[in-house]
Amino acid sequence: MKFTLVKNIQKDSAMSMVLKGFLVFILFYLIADILVMNSSFGLSVNSISTTLYGNEDEYIDAINKASFLEFWHTQIFFIMMVLLTLNAIFIRMAKRSRVILTNILMISAITSLTSLPLAYYLSDFFVNVYITSYFIWHILAVYMIFYSFWKLNAPSV
Amino acid sequence: MLQAYKLSIIYYLIFSLLLIVSAVMLFDNNIGFTIESIVSYYLGDEEKFIASKSMSGILKLILPHTFVFGLFAMVILHFLVFTKHRYKKSTLILIFLVFFTSFTEITSPFMIISGFEFFAYIKLLSFISFLTLSLYTIWLLFHSIVYD
Repeated sequence: MKFTLVKNIQKDSAMSMVLKGFLVFILFYLIADILVMNSSFGLSVNSISTTLYGNEDEYIDAINKASFLEFWHTQIFFIMMVLLTLNAIFIRMAKRSRVILTNILMISAITSLTSLPLAYYLSDFFVNVYITSYFIWHILAVYMIFYSFWKLNAPSV
Repeated sequence: MLQAYKLSIIYYLIFSLLLIVSAVMLFDNNIGFTIESIVSYYLGDEEKFIASKSMSGILKLILPHTFVFGLFAMVILHFLVFTKHRYKKSTLILIFLVFFTSFTEITSPFMIISGFEFFAYIKLLSFISFLTLSLYTIWLLFHSIVYD
């Protein structure tokens, strides 16, 4: 987190390069996350409902409780680490919109994570909440990556 | 510290709470909060159709957790450096205890399957202590950010 203390990141070529490399990796992670989620857990109301509750017509069993909890547990850890580091870079780069965007990013990610067990234990309504909030925080995270990248190439921050 | 960074840390603390809730649910579902259930989870139970765990099985399970426990503890504890608790002796004790309890939580299964069933108590105690200390650290950070 040393980059939060560097006054002019553009002039610090090593730190700038490190952050750009890290941003590329977060972007790859987000893309891979969408692809893996789409093929394994599902990213539509139907596919997620099938994963969570099963489908008698297609002879598909519902995900068992242990697998679901493990999936949820690992998702929380990875998302919290990715968003903490990405947000720290974005806050360092952005001046005006950083508080509002931080709020939207974090609230949508937390909503996404809390709606998963609510969908599993309470109601399928939360599947819609999960999908909506999942895409909101992904889109916002991608925007933050490109904005930070662009700012790292700007004359001064 | 910048307001936006404080906001980011508060959200990180909320994520940490979610992680702790999920860890408790996972522990309750997979192992259970009684000594008997911990022993039967690791040593196996024919009546409950639970297979005993092997050294390599436990090693595979603790491999990601070793890194994750260390990283999680380091991240939440290093935020204390930015608070008024930085120079307190109690903070040093807290840091030591968080790492110590996470270490015993991770390594106690090896002792259980080696025949020392007493370590089921250590496993349970260290799991509860680690989470309690993490919650206490989260509360300290939250209080410092909001009121200091």
